[in-house]
Parts: sequence; C-alpha cells; structure tokens
Amino acid sequence: MNSGRLAGATMLGIVVVAASVGGQILGVDPAQQSLLDTLSGPSPAHPLGTDHLGRDMAGRLLAGAKLSLSLAGLSVLTAAIPGAALGVLASWRGGWTDRILGSISDAVLALPGLLLVLMLAAIAPGSWWVLYVGISLTLWVEYFRYTRARTRVLLAAPAVEASRLLGLGPVHVLYRHIGPEIATGMLTIAAFGAATAVASVAALGFIGIGLRPPVAEWGVMMSELLPYWREAPWLILQPVGCLVVVVIALHLLVGSTERTRP
Amino acid sequence: MPGLELEDVTVEASGAMIVGPVSLALEPGHCLTVMGETGAGKSLLAQAVIGALPPGLNAAGRIRIGGSRVDRWPRAGRTALWGRTVTLLPQEPWRALNPIMRSGSQVEETHRHVAGRSVRDARAATRADLLELDLLAAARHLPGTLSGGMAQRIAFAAAKAGGAPLVIADEPTKGLDADRVETVTALLKRVPEEGGALLTITHDLRLARRLGGECVILTGGVVVETGPTERLLSRPRSDYGQAMLAAEPSAWRLPQPVATGESVLRAEGLAVGRGGRVLVREFDLALRRSERISVVGPSGSGKSSLLDTLAGLLPPLSGRLRRGPGLPATAVQKLYQDPPAAFPDRVTLLASLRDVSRRHEVPWTCVEEALAALGVDPGLLQRRPAEVSGGELQRIALARVLMIRPAVLLADEPTSRMDPITQAAVIRLIARAAAEQGSAVVLVTHDRSIAERWAPEIRTVPALQARDPRG
Repeated sequence: MNSGRLAGATMLGIVVVAASVGGQILGVDPAQQSLLDTLSGPSPAHPLGTDHLGRDMAGRLLAGAKLSLSLAGLSVLTAAIPGAALGVLASWRGGWTDRILGSISDAVLALPGLLLVLMLAAIAPGSWWVLYVGISLTLWVEYFRYTRARTRVLLAAPAVEASRLLGLGPVHVLYRHIGPEIATGMLTIAAFGAATAVASVAALGFIGIGLRPPVAEWGVMMSELLPYWREAPWLILQPVGCLVVVVIALHLLVGSTERTRP
Repeated sequence: MPGLELEDVTVEASGAMIVGPVSLALEPGHCLTVMGETGAGKSLLAQAVIGALPPGLNAAGRIRIGGSRVDRWPRAGRTALWGRTVTLLPQEPWRALNPIMRSGSQVEETHRHVAGRSVRDARAATRADLLELDLLAAARHLPGTLSGGMAQRIAFAAAKAGGAPLVIADEPTKGLDADRVETVTALLKRVPEEGGALLTITHDLRLARRLGGECVILTGGVVVETGPTERLLSRPRSDYGQAMLAAEPSAWRLPQPVATGESVLRAEGLAVGRGGRVLVREFDLALRRSERISVVGPSGSGKSSLLDTLAGLLPPLSGRLRRGPGLPATAVQKLYQDPPAAFPDRVTLLASLRDVSRRHEVPWTCVEEALAALGVDPGLLQRRPAEVSGGELQRIALARVLMIRPAVLLADEPTSRMDPITQAAVIRLIARAAAEQGSAVVLVTHDRSIAERWAPEIRTVPALQARDPRG
C-alpha cells in the first residue's frame, strides 16, 4: 500500500467510524434548537459551535456524514451489481442484446448526471428515494461499460477457449476468468462513484432540489449557513471541509498508484 | 569509438546475486552473441548495460561504452545515450511501432529528435534509409497494414536512425517464421558491416551461427563458456553448450508413433476462413489414433484458423468435418503457443487444474502422477500462470489436457517461444504422453526442421494473401 492509499484509507476510516458511532457518543439531537445560543463558537457543550438556530454543529455534521455515506454506499451497490451483470451479459450474448444495452447506456451517458436527478427531483422534490434512484441510474453506466469491454477481451482470449474445450461451463468462466479480472477495476469505479454520489447529494441539497431543511445534510447546511458567512465564517467552512475530506479520501484510496519509472 | 567492455558486472536483487560476475569485450565492427537458458539473466545483462534495470535490481562492476565508465554516471546521463550511443532492438519489433502513425514518420521522428537533425535533413535521411531497406512504398502506410517483415525493417530503421554505434538485440527471432528470421538476420548483419558493434541475446542457434563473431554462454547468470561462435557451436566444451547442440531438432529422436485403425477425426474438402477471407482450401485429413502429423506454413497463413476449425471452434466455410463415433465433446484439445494466455491469470494453477479434475471426475492422485511424469514441481501449482516459466507452464498445460485423455491433441506452435533445450524436452514429452494415451497429435509449427522430426506426414498451409501493400 503506498502513502496515498494509506492516507485515503485513514481519512475515510475516521469519517466512517465517526459517522456510525459518533452521534451516540456525542449524545446530542442534531435537530434540537436553542434560539438563545445561535452562531456560537466552540464551547464544552458544543465542540464545533452552533448554527443560526442554535443546533449543535458537531451533531449535525455527523448526521450529515451518516446520511451522505449511506446514500452513496447504497447507490453504488445498486448501480454496480446490475451494471456489471448487464455488462457481462452484453458481451456474452453479443448481437442484439449488446446493441440494445449499449444504446441504452449511451443514452444515459448523453445526459449530464445531475440533470437526470434534477428531472426526477421535479417529480418528487425533497425525497430521499429520488436521490437514491437518480444517482444509481447515473452510476450504473460506468460499471456496464467497464465490464462489457473487459469481458469482451477475456471471452476472446485463449484461456476461456481452453476452458470451454475442456468442458468447463459458464459458471467456471464467470467465477475463474471474469470475476477476478474485473474485481479490482470495479472497486476503483465504486470509490470514484461514491465520491460523485456524496458530492451530488451535497450539490443538490445546496441548490435546494435535493434534501430539504431541516434535514442535517452537508449541502443543506451550506445553503442554510451561507447568509451568515460574514458573522460566523467557521460554520459554513465545516460542511465544506467535510465534503472535501470525503471526496479526496475516496480519490486517494484508489486513484494513487505506484509511480513507476518511465 | 564505442565498443563495449564489461568487467565483473553483477546484478543483484535484495542481496542475492542474479547475474555475474560477467566480463566481456566487444569491438566496433564485431558481433557478440550471448546464449543460454531462459532465466539465465541474459536480458538483465542487456538492461544493466543500457542502465534500465527494473526497480529493485542493482548492477555493480565496471561498464565501459566507448571507453567511458557509464556505470558511474547518473541515470539522466545514461538515458541521454539511448538511441544516440546505444540502441535496443525490441522483441517482436512490430509491436514497438506506433500503430496510428505513418511508418515513414516514425523513422523521421528519430532522425529529427534523437539525432537532432533539421526537418529537411531528417526527411532526406529517412528517404535514404527507406530506399536502402527497400521500404519507400511503405513510408506512407500505417504499421498495421504492412507485412511482418516490412514492419520489422521499419522498426529497425527507426531504432538505428539515432546513429547509435552499439546495437543490442534481445531475442530478435523469438517466435518468428523462417522468412522473418531471414529479414532479421540480414538486418543484424549490417550493423558490424557498417562499423557498429552488435550484442545479440538469443537462444536461436541458427541465428548465432549466421552472425558469427564471438559467443558467450550464460547459465544461472554465470559465464560458462566463451569463444568464437564457429568453434563454440560445433565443439562446445561446457555441458550446457553440448546439451544445446543435442537439443537441435536435427538431433532429435522421437518415439515412432504406431497409428492404429480407429479414425478419430476426418476432414474432406475443408475450406477454412475468418472474417470473410478464405485461408485454407481443399484440406483433407484422416487422423487415426496415435497418429502424428505436422502442419507448416508462414505466419498469417491460416494455420491457427485451421486448428480452430478442427477443434470445432470455428465453423468450416465448406467441406465436411467428422469426429470418430462415440467420442465425447471434449475429445479434441488444444495446446497454445503462449502458455500464460491459456490459463485464467488471477487464480492459482492448482485451482485451474482442480476445476478440470472435478469436472471430469479424475482422481487428484492421477493428476499428481501425470504432473510427476512430466517433471513438474508440485510447488509450482501454488503460483499464478505469470509466475511460472513458459516451459514449465506448457508442461502443466499438457497435464491439464492429458487428464481427460483426448483423442486428438492440436498443438499450436507449443514451443516457439522456448529455448532449444526446453523445446526439445517439451516436444519429447508431448510425443511420449500422446503415444501412451493413444492420442493423435497435429503439431503446427513454422519450423520445418521440427515438422520433419515430428512426423513423416507434413502438410503445408500456403499463404493465399500476403499483407503486402505492394500487392
């Protein structure tokens, strides 16, 4: 493991642990308002201060982390499994199956990812389900295209031909030839996809199309705290910082490879 | 002017000595050929000379190029020599060409940027080079549309355009058919004729003989014999040198097959083609148990397509193909030219073999016996295909197909990438195992001497369409 990967894994590990158990340890309700104590700085009671309605920032950030990470993880899983399965199917069957699935994936690619979510959000604004479905729908294409391309090469290789001549069936080909070969690439795409998902949720929340207040979500928090940035700049920087850390951690985790000599 | 001189050169990896100490000298206008088994460190020696060892390997000792102690130079200084003072001819040169750049431009690029000529001079020099190699017609073509021999000459011209007086050729004839070997040999012989120094690394005895000059035999990273090529390759003193001569196909003694009555594969008037091109016409075959035949032909002549058709992988364009009565679907098996490509590359060999034994309910002890009979170290099975040498892997591939007792074994150039000793051993194993099981074997090769030793019956597959832009 190189230093980039290690740094990414450490950062992500801390965020994940904090998101899953931090809320209980802190023991505060992220929705609890206290209008006498708004826009305050760090204090023993509120380690990261309070927002414009006096809600505990630390608690809200952790709730936001939990929400973003679980939504990202779920969307990635929902996209990866059918995406990869369809990719293998397209290459395996070839012909019309390949052409139709390929055209669908091209059509999805032609839409900018956020636009698709925006269109869905117009149907049911502020819904968690819309975000989940929309992000999954934009992400599956990458898995599909990657597995389709890899599988096509693998199926044409002598190794698969030899296995078939030896009487080994499709299960063997999937399990021994295709699965191990696409696993690493899938993990890479998954990490990048998760980063995209986290950023998309925040972006949509920020412009008011994703989740809505009073939900503790990073993008929503940013838009709520934006009017107060002169009085309390440290507050808006907190959700922004969290978003940056998570996206960078995911990219470091898979995006940094060993530098090889030219 | 640059000759090459090595004094006590060693290559070590984390304290373990892999190569050396090697001392040798090469004068301008001369040839030096380094021979030896696969894994003897021949390529590492070449990489040590040019200063491009893989990470984790370190060279020590004195390396002089043109009298300069280059081993003391920093990496940047040695990189500056590449192309100008020392050049490396890549293995399988057509793969070293840029597929989307016109052939002539690739030569011109070296003249322009490596040799540092002006645009006009580079163009003129390129023209002169191409004219000399009879390649003018190829200049405007992309490498993919050239014949193998032409691509090879282009790659040679590009590698030489920097004007390097020291040329290193690493296995220049590996896997080439007879025509291409001719091309390469002729190109290499020009180097000393033009006053350059040529260091060739090969296990091709015929190439070494034709290059002449001096020869060094390396085994286990150590020089075991040096001398004039002519003497060394006719009366070698070292054990390895003697074994190398004994492994030449002309010296082979293979057990004679006894073809018995039962027909296992019959083809009548078979036409074979791929992608709309007819490659083989009117092919007849009546293969009986234990029979051996050879198929020879140049690269691109359709030998592999013919095998695919015989294996049932590629439907024939016309004609009839019938298997013997009662033979199972897996009765026809293949051995591949590039053994690592014939195994799933992310799983251990053990897993690959176990899958086959389980599928065909072959007791694992039988597999172990077969592996032992083929001389495979069982420890190798814990590794992945890329971590095992080609010779060992081909034996494992052989064990994998023998496990299911095939009636017909189609061997597609199974040894063309091996050194002569390994090649002889593997060919003998295939012959012996097939005779024991009564399998018929079709051996495809580009090497006539192997074909002749393999079987009395040699079938030639002619190239119907050469990929030569001159038509």
